[in-house]
Amino acid sequence: MRGDALLTARGIARRYGSFEALAPVDLAISRGERIALIGPNGAGKTTLLSILAGVGVASAGTIEWAGGTALAVGWVPQRPALYPRLTARENLTLFAGLEGTADPRAVADGLIERADLGKVADRPASALSTGTLQRLNLAIALAGQPVLLLLDEPTGTLSPDQRHRLWSWLTELVADGDMALVFSTQSIDEASRSADRIVTLVAGQLRMDGTLDDLIRAAGTDPSGPAAGETAFMALVGDDQ
Amino acid sequence: MSILRAGRLLFIKDLRVLGRSRGLLAILIGYPIVIAVLLAIALSGGDTKPSVAFVNLDAQSGRTVQVGDERLSVDDYASRLGEAVNLVRVDAQQATQALDDGKVSAVLTIPEGFVSDLQTGIRSPVITLQTNPRSPIEAQAIERRLEAMVFRLNEALAGAYVGQVLHLVDLIQNGGNVALFGRAGSLMGLRSSEQTIRGMQAALRAAGKPEEAAKAASLLAFITGVGDNLDLAKPAAKAIASPIRLDVKAGAPGREPLSALGIAGALVVGLGLVGVLLSAALLSAEREDGVLSRLGRGLVSPGSIIAQKAVVSAAAALVVGMVLLGVVAVTTSVTVGRWGIWVIALLVAGLAFGAFGLLIGALARETRTALLAGLMISLPLAVVALIPGSDVAYWASAVAGFGPAARVFQQVLVDPEVTTSLWSGIGLLALIAIAYGVIARFVLARRMHT
Repeated sequence: MRGDALLTARGIARRYGSFEALAPVDLAISRGERIALIGPNGAGKTTLLSILAGVGVASAGTIEWAGGTALAVGWVPQRPALYPRLTARENLTLFAGLEGTADPRAVADGLIERADLGKVADRPASALSTGTLQRLNLAIALAGQPVLLLLDEPTGTLSPDQRHRLWSWLTELVADGDMALVFSTQSIDEASRSADRIVTLVAGQLRMDGTLDDLIRAAGTDPSGPAAGETAFMALVGDDQ
Repeated sequence: MSILRAGRLLFIKDLRVLGRSRGLLAILIGYPIVIAVLLAIALSGGDTKPSVAFVNLDAQSGRTVQVGDERLSVDDYASRLGEAVNLVRVDAQQATQALDDGKVSAVLTIPEGFVSDLQTGIRSPVITLQTNPRSPIEAQAIERRLEAMVFRLNEALAGAYVGQVLHLVDLIQNGGNVALFGRAGSLMGLRSSEQTIRGMQAALRAAGKPEEAAKAASLLAFITGVGDNLDLAKPAAKAIASPIRLDVKAGAPGREPLSALGIAGALVVGLGLVGVLLSAALLSAEREDGVLSRLGRGLVSPGSIIAQKAVVSAAAALVVGMVLLGVVAVTTSVTVGRWGIWVIALLVAGLAFGAFGLLIGALARETRTALLAGLMISLPLAVVALIPGSDVAYWASAVAGFGPAARVFQQVLVDPEVTTSLWSGIGLLALIAIAYGVIARFVLARRMHT
């Protein structure tokens, strides 16, 4: 589902000395869009996401927001970024406060309900299970009411049922078409199931930006074979996998 | 999002996290307090009374004086003064050296002829108190203690003297044997003299020598006797006013007393460890928890985080410093006052130590590394800062604020007035805080936006 343009990144690149972590990348994101960044380890997925989130600094390139004003971005790092000694409620209230919301407690209560954290809201974050912790991690990112949600391998450490639960919630979040979702993953299945667009990065280079069918076509593999997507992805990645 | 609001939210968060990390709290605050108290006790000798060198220049006489029912020797006198201060018996040369080295706070000298003067009562013996001008506050405290003790002893002696004077008056009136103030003899007394004169007059008249009877020779003799006895009574009356006088003199400038050095050292070690370790741990924990990436998205600026953590450190330094000073005030002889200046000094020192710890915290990847690095850097610097009288040690330890903090604390302890030098020290600590705060802010900014 693709709505109005949200932002356009042009020539975004990141160098560490002589090492090019991310070659210049162009990426346009629209409201309601779900984009998967897929690639092997070291492909530059986290680098690109962190630059879009404002956490990382680009060596080159520009990000232009539609309307000229930067809008709220929700950042969900791969490892939960929260205070383990605070409870789930305290974490949410704190970050809602830091986001500048008028009533942080009310925002936290709303997020607790949406993230189904009611039973564990007053437990220290350090006592939560991995899946619950990731839901809290995501809820914190929503505290600023973002229009763009960036998730770095959100399901990497989750069990299948936890993964399913998280994706159900994420699907709900973008259902109204107002929020865009960009997530990184190493699973072509997850990308093809949960994204409208797949952006393939290999060794810091953008190899393909399109649908699963576009990816299979670009790889030149058999579209009707078993695990066609995975086969195409493997072919595209080649020796860099 | 205002800086103040973000700072307040993170400040409350830090207090909450610390309150739930009792082990960490014990290490960060309990450990420095224990070390500081032990250091203070060790350096100040653990005495609740100030140490005063006692020089007895009248030791050779070995004499005692009987005043009324009291028999007093110099040793008796010293043991009574020892109720007010901790007397250290030394000779004159050792006393001067001890005062110069700051090992004693004053020198009390019993003059030659002390017992003799006390016995004759002709003049008040003067004992001398030589104080350390580098520690005027403590000197005043010792002076007050000894003046109070001399007053109490004078009161006791005066009571005995008054009894003697009354006995003297009785002798003048009734006559008898006298053994007072080193003089012995038989006294006729007014009444006996009157009887004698009457008897002589009667006898002369009976002998037909009325002219002779009229002569006032015996009367004159009586008057002379009365005069002599009154001469004895006069110095005794003076002695009643002040049998022993305390003369206070300022000694040559020496080192600060060990007690002040000990307290300042305890504060530097305690506050230094609390400030450095607490701020290093708090900042590195933000990174370890992975929260810096969230905060770095524009929620909170690096400068705000540094300022907020420095405020936590300063608040902790104030609390720990006040606890230590409270312990000092209750358990040692050191006079602690001027709490307003203490609040300023403790807060600014806390900011300096905190800023240094923040730089360590910004550089370290883990909390454990930050704590270990903070401890390994702070402890030697704190020890170097305690080397008295060395400019090299002062400036070497000044790199993290330890030297200036030690000097500021000593000045607040010993200087009776707030001097320009004290404000300069506080200003230097503030500059150190700003310098490390700025560097830590740049390091943190790089960490937040990798």
